[in-house]
Amino acid sequence: MTRVFSQLYQRFNQLRGRRIFIVPTRFGFLYSGFILLILLGAINYSNSLGHILAFLLASLGQIAMLHSYRNIAKIEITHAHAKPVYCGNDVSFTLIIDNQSHYHHYHIEISAKQKQQRSWNPFRSLSGYSYPQPLAQLKPQQATRFSYSLPSQQRGKQPLGKLRIASQFPMGIFLTWSYFPNDYTAIIYPKPEGTLPLPNAAEHGQKINNQHQKGMDDFAGFKRYRTGDPIHAIAWKAMARDDVLRTKQFSNLQGGRLMLNWQDVAQLSDIEARLSQLCKWIIQAESAGISYGLTLPNNIIHYDHGEAHRHRCLTALALYE
Amino acid sequence: MLGLTLGALPHFYYQPIWVAILFLAMIGWRCMNIWQAWPLPSIYYKKQRWIQRSIAALAIILLLTHYGNLIGRDAGVALLTVMLGLKVTEIRSNRDYYLSSFLGYFLVVTNFFYSQSMITAGLMFVVVIIMTASLISLNDLNQSITNKLKTKLAGQMLLQAVPLMVILFIFFPRISGPLWGLPDDAYNAKTGIDNSMTLGAISKLIQSDEVAFRVKFDDTIPEQANLYWRGPVLWHSDGTTWTELNEQKHMASQPNIKSSSPIYRYTTTIEPHNNNWLFALDFPLSLAIPDNTYFTQDGQLKSNDKIKQRKQYSLSSQTQFTFNAEQDLFIQQALQLPDQLHPRTRQLAQKWRNQTGKPNELIQLAINYFNQQPFYYTLEPPVLTGDIIDQFLFESRQGFCEHYAASFTVLMRAAGVPTRIVTGYQGGEVNPVDNFFVIRQRDAHAWTEVWIQDQGWIRIDPTAAVSKERIEQGMSTVMPLTMRSPLLISHSQKLAELWQTLRNNFDALDNKWNQWILAYGPKLQKQFLSKLGMPNPNWQQMVLWLGILISTTLLLISLVIFYHRKRRDPIVHLYQKFCHKTALKRGASEGPVDFAERVKQQYPHHAKTIDQISQLYINLHYGDQSASIGQLKEVVKEFNPKKK
Repeated sequence: MTRVFSQLYQRFNQLRGRRIFIVPTRFGFLYSGFILLILLGAINYSNSLGHILAFLLASLGQIAMLHSYRNIAKIEITHAHAKPVYCGNDVSFTLIIDNQSHYHHYHIEISAKQKQQRSWNPFRSLSGYSYPQPLAQLKPQQATRFSYSLPSQQRGKQPLGKLRIASQFPMGIFLTWSYFPNDYTAIIYPKPEGTLPLPNAAEHGQKINNQHQKGMDDFAGFKRYRTGDPIHAIAWKAMARDDVLRTKQFSNLQGGRLMLNWQDVAQLSDIEARLSQLCKWIIQAESAGISYGLTLPNNIIHYDHGEAHRHRCLTALALYE
Repeated sequence: MLGLTLGALPHFYYQPIWVAILFLAMIGWRCMNIWQAWPLPSIYYKKQRWIQRSIAALAIILLLTHYGNLIGRDAGVALLTVMLGLKVTEIRSNRDYYLSSFLGYFLVVTNFFYSQSMITAGLMFVVVIIMTASLISLNDLNQSITNKLKTKLAGQMLLQAVPLMVILFIFFPRISGPLWGLPDDAYNAKTGIDNSMTLGAISKLIQSDEVAFRVKFDDTIPEQANLYWRGPVLWHSDGTTWTELNEQKHMASQPNIKSSSPIYRYTTTIEPHNNNWLFALDFPLSLAIPDNTYFTQDGQLKSNDKIKQRKQYSLSSQTQFTFNAEQDLFIQQALQLPDQLHPRTRQLAQKWRNQTGKPNELIQLAINYFNQQPFYYTLEPPVLTGDIIDQFLFESRQGFCEHYAASFTVLMRAAGVPTRIVTGYQGGEVNPVDNFFVIRQRDAHAWTEVWIQDQGWIRIDPTAAVSKERIEQGMSTVMPLTMRSPLLISHSQKLAELWQTLRNNFDALDNKWNQWILAYGPKLQKQFLSKLGMPNPNWQQMVLWLGILISTTLLLISLVIFYHRKRRDPIVHLYQKFCHKTALKRGASEGPVDFAERVKQQYPHHAKTIDQISQLYINLHYGDQSASIGQLKEVVKEFNPKKK
């Protein structure tokens, strides 16, 4: 007996865990209006079945409220991450939504609040949720992956913001919701923009152009493929022999070495414009296969190339202050 | 949409046929839109929009010509039906869906104006389930739930709602209506005895199987031949139609009744007939009449208000009585005959009059006349024309109780004996299931009363002279089988009996339904609650109890909804038991093999068992199911590390 009670108590605590809000929707008010009308009619005509129907509908509404509550209870957002994007594109967060209950949850709507306003009005905290996106169902006791996209606002770290998961299921007469504060962020790169040409490698690099002419021939040997190595450097022929991915190593890459310097963009007055220009250059340099580095007033990244290097450089730009 | 159609279905029975056709056509239009992509009225399809609008206008005009208004009950319901049908064709947004779903619920209510039977109630539940399911599908993104599951969920919700509904029904403080004036057609005319009698009217009534009223006798039941249920008393004749005395006159005083016989106590539940009179076993004790009723001079029990709802009243009656023995105020009225009519009847009466002056003998002469001449009692009398009394007495001689009562009255009056016609019901059937006496419309009857000095009004039933069975054994013996049961099964006696049993059972159930569910109003609520232990319930108390009960029930229901018993995997459970026995705590990331190693270090003596348990667990839980749970159970049971 005590076990049953302690179990119940635990259950109760679990239920209580997250604060769940519930209010009637405008259809809920319409519904109650109809019930009232039916009840009045029933009283006026002393109609017993009319009473029964009014009471049945009222009870049904009550039950719908419980079901609506159940549809939101025991949802947890266990993880969220997002791939970095350039400013101006939508950033897509992958949410892992865990449904810990034993029931299917249907038609929930996820929205996020980006800005925290402070206001004297306590109800203000309830509003300001935007970018609603629906999710058809959550299976019981399973985590569901959901991609939630937001427009990116500015370079830097963009928080996912406080999430709100809401639902009107099953009858649409109650709106139930719950908040999920979190500190997940996404990195937003600067927008690649600018008209300045890529600075010539020769001007700043130590190695000279004549090397560039024979550069391609300076084959130095194979290296095992690592993620991030440029695809065009993969030794396909070698792979055909023994099924191992290798990258051809050259003593010097085709484009020479290029240091992208903060001074190169000094002619642009606006910091954001400079960052955008540098961002564009990095993309260009990466696609050209040049080994490049980045010098910012507060940060120096040495020569390298590849996906990881590009991410490092762009992140440095994104977080530049 | 299906819900709407079902909800509207019963209405087609009461409404003009074109309403049904229109409604179904609109539903069909919508269906064709879904299946065949027919255009619906919208701003893009101007033509369809015009068609729809003109249909709406036409419908309103038709309704106006048919009912004369749009606000009355029947017209209002018809209007709702038509407009809902039209609405279906232009449902576009969510709002429209919600609105028409709610209107569908409303349509169900309007059904209850016409019928409150159990079948209607059942239909109500079905409609509510379908409506709820459609609301669910409205809130279901991408239709990820199957229709079956939706209906199941709706059914579940409804089931969970029922306990709350019952509590609300019992404890919600009832207010007696009406709150405002009802439209004139709020209660439509019902079949039943009228306060005027035209020959042929009652024989039409007997085709109806409807229940007129039900009676529950407290102890003894009088003999069948004494079961005369007194209704309107008719005095005045214009040759074809018999009518009551002027109301103000006979309301003035009460008759002088002296009775001597056992007292029968009983409770009557009368079906609404939209008139003032109540039916009572001849003749009720005047001291014990219910509230709000009175006796007229000619012995009718009348209610101050029209009987618009099923009503219960208790009475006591004695079947032996004298009625105004010394004198009667309206004796002259009982001798009235229309001038110049019924010459042959008058002639016959005059002949008898010449033979004797004693009323008793005159009555006997008339009874003998009916008895000895070839008179037949028939439920389907031929249509009479001209002077109908003369026609009946001397030519057709086939008639129903009303023919006998009317012609007997004319004969007596012509012979100078004061006579009046009493209408009502005679007999009735006991339902063996619940012992209620059921009096149906087919038990309608007319008989006469003759006034003799010092004996008062004496009941003479001329029908008895022709058909004794009708009076002594009840209507059902006289009625052919075909009139009592549906056509198909009337040929077999057994089937007909079975039908009768089924009907009795259903009728008893229906009676319970009427007595407890439909009659549950402020009065019955008070009675019921005092039975439950609330001596004098007022509304504050009721609200208090309502609140307490509702919250407890809600709590229980929410437990049902939220509580989900953990169905523990028996394998995991056994393994946990093993872990518990080791008195070592298994780390969250520690696999069974690692754990087994640790346990083995702790209890080297049991290494073999531990290995066995771990292996069994791994096999059962992760791998093939070759090992049996029983084996694991056995080993875990034997594993007792502390004993050594």
